[in-house]
Amino acid sequence: MNSLVLPVVLPLLAAFLVQPVRHVSSGLARWFGPAVLVLCAGLLTNIAMTSDANPVTANIGGFAPPLGIVFYADSLALLFALVVPLFALLLWPRASDDRVSALILLLVGSGTGLAISGDLFNLFVFYELLSIACIGLVASSHTPRAYAATLRYLLISGFGSVLALVGITLVYTQTGSLNLAHLSELAPVHLANPLGLAAFACLLIGFGVKAELFPVNAWVAEVYATAPKRVSALLAGVVSNLAILLLLRLLLLVFDQPEARQILLVLGLIGLASGELAAWRARDLPRMLAFSSIGQLGLLFIAMSIPGEMGLIAALAVALHHLLLKPALFLLAERWSGSLADLAGAGRRAPLAAGLFTLFALSLVGVPPLPGFWAKLVLLLGLAAQDSALAQTAIAGVLLITVVEAHYLFRLVGLLFTKTEHSSVPHRGGDLALASLFGVLLLASMPLLPALADGLAWMAGQVADVGAYRALTLGGAQ
Amino acid sequence: MTLNPPDLITILAAGSVGLIAIGTIGLAVSRHLLRLVLALGLAEAGANLLLVLAGYRWDAVAPILTGAAPAGAMVDPIPQALVLTSIVIGVGVQALAVALMIRIKAAYGTLDIRELKVLLERDICAEAGIVPPSSIHRPNYQPPPGTALPARVASTGESA
Amino acid sequence: MHKLASLLFALGLAFLLMGLAAQLPLGATPMGIGADILQRTPSEIGSANIVTAVVLAYRGIDTLGELTILFAAATTAGMVLSPAGGAAVRKAREDAGLVLRAGSDLLFPLLLMVGFYIVLHGHLTPGGGFQGGVVLAAAFFVSFLARAEKQPSHSCLSLIEAVAGAAFIGIGLAALLGGGAFLQPLLETGSVGALISAGSLPLLYLAVGLKVGAELASLLAHLAE
Repeated sequence: MNSLVLPVVLPLLAAFLVQPVRHVSSGLARWFGPAVLVLCAGLLTNIAMTSDANPVTANIGGFAPPLGIVFYADSLALLFALVVPLFALLLWPRASDDRVSALILLLVGSGTGLAISGDLFNLFVFYELLSIACIGLVASSHTPRAYAATLRYLLISGFGSVLALVGITLVYTQTGSLNLAHLSELAPVHLANPLGLAAFACLLIGFGVKAELFPVNAWVAEVYATAPKRVSALLAGVVSNLAILLLLRLLLLVFDQPEARQILLVLGLIGLASGELAAWRARDLPRMLAFSSIGQLGLLFIAMSIPGEMGLIAALAVALHHLLLKPALFLLAERWSGSLADLAGAGRRAPLAAGLFTLFALSLVGVPPLPGFWAKLVLLLGLAAQDSALAQTAIAGVLLITVVEAHYLFRLVGLLFTKTEHSSVPHRGGDLALASLFGVLLLASMPLLPALADGLAWMAGQVADVGAYRALTLGGAQ
Repeated sequence: MTLNPPDLITILAAGSVGLIAIGTIGLAVSRHLLRLVLALGLAEAGANLLLVLAGYRWDAVAPILTGAAPAGAMVDPIPQALVLTSIVIGVGVQALAVALMIRIKAAYGTLDIRELKVLLERDICAEAGIVPPSSIHRPNYQPPPGTALPARVASTGESA
Repeated sequence: MHKLASLLFALGLAFLLMGLAAQLPLGATPMGIGADILQRTPSEIGSANIVTAVVLAYRGIDTLGELTILFAAATTAGMVLSPAGGAAVRKAREDAGLVLRAGSDLLFPLLLMVGFYIVLHGHLTPGGGFQGGVVLAAAFFVSFLARAEKQPSHSCLSLIEAVAGAAFIGIGLAALLGGGAFLQPLLETGSVGALISAGSLPLLYLAVGLKVGAELASLLAHLAE
């Protein structure tokens, strides 16, 4: 299926051509970027429908793997690849600078590539491209604090890429290959030793910078607070989930070892605790949301550490829930970016926004029957099914942290609805409409939960089928 | 004097790990932004060297066909291609870091990360309208002209 | 205290890496794919420089990503350094002195020639688009440093950059539309070692060289302003 490259390559081509197109006609330049994104979304939907729910591959350059690079798209990869252009369309930044359009197109191209690539170094290259595109977007607000926060992100990200390179070196010297399918064949023999575990640790911390993993998430709060809120929404929702997908592929295909999962569990637990406690102490809304995002992603790492299909279903549920919720919360934070104390009584002036915020808060905490509850329930059941001391600690930790989460979220909700006069700036129509769209999606998913759960289980089964992955990529070209 | 291949590789491997270590230590303890960027460059150089070493084979030549009969074993070409990409990525990152540093120096007047941390915190708090945590470094900080946001339609505006 | 902790962490990392590197089988790593590539390149790709074959043919999309990273970095740096877009105010610079001016006059054509040589012979000798592109950028930057009035025109540079980048992707897409896969090598492979050989690889490297040269030149010009 050679057209699988197009959703990756077309946004890159469009990014190159943004400035010449502006010279040709400035009216065309405004719609050029979004048009390309619509085209990519259409292509991906077409692939999804014609592939008949089977995974598809594309050999780049016509060279069969493991010599060449292969793109592999199963249902999960296609879902994430489709999410990227759609969210970029919805959250298109307001700046009218051409360069910002080019950067968003680069984000979409590299994000799609990250979702469907099947080669370790290719994933590294797309990851770096995604990094630089995000950095550019954060710096596009042109305030000194954005520059300072961006530089910090850049330095941490650079250190992460050094570690990732060391990890790739370790993998290559042990196995001689970079193709994920080939590695999954060689891994039980060559990587099941301390060297393999060290390689996993290096790759985890290296690629975990974007996924807001515990040691390397010092950049999160300031970046989310100083970037334009739509960019923060994109970063928190889409980009972090893409990094998680990358780590998930590595975990399933190459590093399927219990020690690797233990590392994930410990780091996820620390991230969850530190994130939510910091959110409890935060005094302005964007940073509170940023810390809460660290906490949610810590929860996601805990879910990933559960072996078997149960873990995959839990991880997918938490990831999709986070994907819907965080961008919407950041959209609401656009007008409410002051201090939390300032928000007293804002609910009376903007009832729709406050209602949406309450809905999202309830789902974040995990109040039944909202989807957040089911996601956390699957996670806890998965943890309970293992009988290790670490898993028991994790259960206790998650429950305790949920209490903390509930406390600060409901404190804010109560503050919103207090009876004081509040002279706030009302939300922009566009933002409110988008946030309501997400809210409606959230509510609409409730009656559909059984069908969604079946769909997730099927997707998890497909993802976990490593044998099929290997057979399709290495066996024949399509 | 010619070194035997095992010694050469040991020296190079130790050197590359040493570079990564120096770079990491530099990132951890440096206070000046330029030193941080340079330390990052060192660490990246060390990682690239380690990756190239991964392709080395004893008694092998560069992977270039020179028209004569094949000269026996050649080194692995893949790590060299990977390092090519990685060096370019490093160049891009460093150029971007320098550009940001120029802007930060122009806006804040300092490149010391401890001071910048305090200034950044004050800026974010000023934008949000909350009182920043107090610090002994700059008790009377005023934001540089032109960087403060237009006054918000805020309620009780606690002073920054 | 914080510094001590970071120092300990860094030292621990250093020891860990030393221990790991000591265990690596450097010099005798398993070379499964590498050996295959070494054998197949002369017949399949036809380029004498096997690293070029890896960079442009076997892992062509990595090179595309790398080009794009440089483009993204240059775009962001341009955006950060001149937010309003358009021509920045030219700062008056002092005279660069006789040595620099004479030296740049002498070096400019030499650097151009060397740069183009490296780019065009990328498939025969060590070198290629990236290396040659950097030399080309240096050529323009040296003359820019020496003479304050010889400003590179940013719109011209960005046009070259855009067209060259689009050409790279265009060649790849042409392969796709022609029924093959994206970035499949086109044209005849020719005989190994001749200038016209290795199919579309020299064209790809030419596009890469022009793009990198234009990009770095404009980036350096932005930084100097």
